[in-house]
Parts: sequence; structure tokens; C-alpha cells
Amino acid sequence: MINKLAIYIGSKALSIKAGIRDFVRYTKSIIYSLRSLRYLSFRAIYNIIINQTKFTGVDALIIVMIIALLLGGTVIIQALTSLPKFGVEGFLGNILVIIIARELGPLATALIVIARSGSAIATEISVQKWSREILSMELMGIDTKLYIIFPRIIASIISITSLIIIFDIVAFIGGYLISQTVVYIPMDVFGQTLIDSFTFKDIVAALIKSLIFGITIPLICCYYGLKPSSKFEIPIYVSKAVIRTLFVSIIVNIIVSVLFYL
Amino acid sequence: MDELILDVKNVTYSLNDVTLLNNISFSLKRGDNLLVFGPESSGIGNLFDLIVRTDTGYEGDVIFQGESLKKLDYFGQLMHKKEIGYVHGDYGLISNMTVEQNISLPLEYHSKMSAADIKKHVGEIIYDLNLDHCKKLRPIDLTRSEMLKTTFARSIVMDPDLLYLEYAFEDQCPLNVKTMMNILIERSKLPDKSLIIITFYPWNFIDISDYFIMFFNGRIVFSGGKEDFLNSDNPYLLQYKNKSIEGPMVIL
Repeated sequence: MINKLAIYIGSKALSIKAGIRDFVRYTKSIIYSLRSLRYLSFRAIYNIIINQTKFTGVDALIIVMIIALLLGGTVIIQALTSLPKFGVEGFLGNILVIIIARELGPLATALIVIARSGSAIATEISVQKWSREILSMELMGIDTKLYIIFPRIIASIISITSLIIIFDIVAFIGGYLISQTVVYIPMDVFGQTLIDSFTFKDIVAALIKSLIFGITIPLICCYYGLKPSSKFEIPIYVSKAVIRTLFVSIIVNIIVSVLFYL
Repeated sequence: MDELILDVKNVTYSLNDVTLLNNISFSLKRGDNLLVFGPESSGIGNLFDLIVRTDTGYEGDVIFQGESLKKLDYFGQLMHKKEIGYVHGDYGLISNMTVEQNISLPLEYHSKMSAADIKKHVGEIIYDLNLDHCKKLRPIDLTRSEMLKTTFARSIVMDPDLLYLEYAFEDQCPLNVKTMMNILIERSKLPDKSLIIITFYPWNFIDISDYFIMFFNGRIVFSGGKEDFLNSDNPYLLQYKNKSIEGPMVIL
């Protein structure tokens, strides 16, 4: 029994090690491919960047705003029910900055992007691979790693950074609106407490998170999108792409928060 | 013109301990057209791995335009692929691009031409191939012949010296691809352009081929010119022409 367990754990550990090594090799090959940027004219990837930014950023705007509004409101409901009524207006800005701007904003935005665009990227690439589209690009002398992955990373960084900013603003508005049902806080006082609560560190941390999410989400999803070697493997790898990107995003969020705030 | 565009020297190519090509040698002069045929698993499909995809795991050497393909680095391989126009019967068209965008893609990626020049050049090819009516459509909306013509247009848009057609016409109506065949026939006469046609149906390309090579079990079992192809009593060739399962080739 113990032997079987040891074999199982050992083989799992070896497979995780092999997977990480394979991903590192893939990442290195993309970095190496950046050298062929000199052969690439920007117009070839311009349309991909625009389309991906539209899908990942613009098309996700409504759902991001609704979720931000609801989360902002929820945070304030919890705060108002837990904190003493007297002098609560002084805390609301702090609470929103700590919970929304530092943690929930970047993470919730990343989760929405993974659910919408990460799965779409993995599916699109695996279908393109299966239908020999990627092979045909390679045979045209196109550096597919650069042509497929690089524009998606650019689009993802632009989209996630913008979405996090919009998420935070809308969540603050949601929080303010809910707070008005319980306690009257003038708009200018609320705005001032928010500004006072924000530090330069918060802005840098949010930007670093959006940059890392912007790189890791398309990178991991493209990695799994390029994996299937037959049609029936496509859903397996798409599912892996979503789950593992979620996992990595949560870890990244924790690491950045620890580095900045602990 | 006696310059060799392709020289395959004593190539033995194995994959997973199976020998796919066994000591293969042949060459192609610039301006000449080569037809390669043979039954399934004879090795004709594996020439693609060597010449177009630039796999390097083989013995021997493949020289293209005076340069050994084994010695190319990553970027050299990309530049080499750009020099060959490749058409496959499975098309490989980019599904989220229109016909016009599919054909423009190699030019947009590689060339320094202006957007207006690309549009004009692609427009001429589209006109020549009778694709004007569907140039704004995506591959999902095209007929088989339109897809093949788009693939063909994309392969010649960079005006490559070597065009490599692999099972390109196998499932096509000869009437619908007539315009494409006419362009191919004209191209086959050019002194500086070469063709390699991989097919199961060599008799469809007799008029445009200068040399014929037949493969079986990873070996060349027949090679010769047009007259040899038509008149040779090579037993492998006769069995293939007669579509017989009896002869020197054991067909499973």
C-alpha cells in the first residue's frame, strides 16, 4: 500500500517536473523567437492585436463592469454591517482600496479574462493546429511563435491593464452607491478618502499584476493550445489551460501582494 | 540552364526505428519539373519532411539552391521555407481570414511592399484565378476548388523558385480547377521556375513534368523522362500503371 502510494507520488512529481521543464523550454523558444522581430513587419500583426484587444478588452467591458459594481457593493455591505456606524465614512475609502484595488480588482479581472479569452485562445489555437493552419503558416516561413503568441500577449497586457482600472473605478462607484443606502457620505468626502488611501505602492503593485497576468494568461493558454495532436484532445487541453492559468494567476496575485505589502 | 535547384544525396531517413527513405538520391535542375509518385507509405510523403519542413534527422544531405538544409539555423529555416511555394490538398487556409487576406499574408509578413502594392498584386492573382466573386469570403464559405485556388494563389504570391504540390488535385473536379491548371502549365514552361508534384495519379501531369520518380518501400524503383515513363517495361511502373495488386510490389 505504502509502496503504491510512494510510486504514485513519485510518478506525479516526475510528471510535474517534466511539465515545468517543457513549459520553460517553450518559453525560452518564444524569447528566442523575439529575434525574428526584425523580419516581421508590424502590419502583419496589427490586425491580430486589434482583434484580440477588442475581444479580450472591449467585449468584456460590460461583464467586468457588472461584476465590479456588484463586488464593490458587496464589500461595502459587509463593511457597513461589521463596522460601527459612527465615523464609518473615514474607513470606507481604505476598505475599498485594500480589498478592491489591491486584491479583488486584479484577481477578478484576471479570472474574467481567463474564463472568456484564455479558453478562447486555447481553443482557437488547438483548432488551428488540428486543421494544419499553423503548419501552413510555418511553411510560409512565418515564425508562428512570434506571429501567434506575441500579438496576443501585447493585446492581453493592454486589455487587462485597462480592465483593472475600469474595474476599480466601477467598484468604487458601486461601493459608494450602496453606502448611501445606510449612511450619507458626500461625494467629495468619499472621493477624498479614496485618494488619501491610495499609495504609489498600490498603483505599482496593480500595474505589475496586470503586466504579469497579461503575459502569463496568453502564454499558458497558447502553450496548451499548441499541445493537442488529435481532435479528441482539444477539450482536454483547453480545460487544462483554464485550470492551470487560474492556479498560476492566484499564485502570482499572492506573491505580488506578499512582496509589496508584507 | 544547368544550375541545380535541388540535390538530394544518399538520404536515409528513419522515424521511430522505421526506415522511411532508404539511400535516396536525385536532383532537379532549375526550370525542370519533377513528378514523384508511388503507393501509400512508399516514402513520397516523407520528401516533404526533408525538403519543405527541413527536418534534420537523416543521413546524407539535401542541397537547395547551393545550400545544405542541414546547416540552416532556426532563422535560416524560416527563410528557406519562404523560398518554396507549398500547396497541399488539405489547403491549410487560415479560417479567420478572407480569401484576400489569406493570399496577402506571406507578402504582409515578409515583403517590404506597400499595402497598396500588395492589394494590387493580390488583386491580379485573384483575377487570374477567377476568385474575384469570393475574395471577401472566409474558407468555410468556399467550394473545394475555390479553397485549392486560394491555397495555390497564396503559394505563388511571393513568386517562389520552387513550387511543391502535394496531393493537391486528388479530390478536385478537373473543370473547376482548369484556370489553376492553365497557370501551372504556363509556369512549368518558365526557365527559372521549378515544380515538384507529389501525387498518386502521375498520368494527370504528364504534359507538365520533365522527370518522373517512383518510390516503393522508401526506395526509388523507377526514374526517367517522359518517354521512359510512357514506354518503360519497369515491372514496378507497369504494376502501378495497371493498378494491379499483382507484381513486385506487395500492396496491403
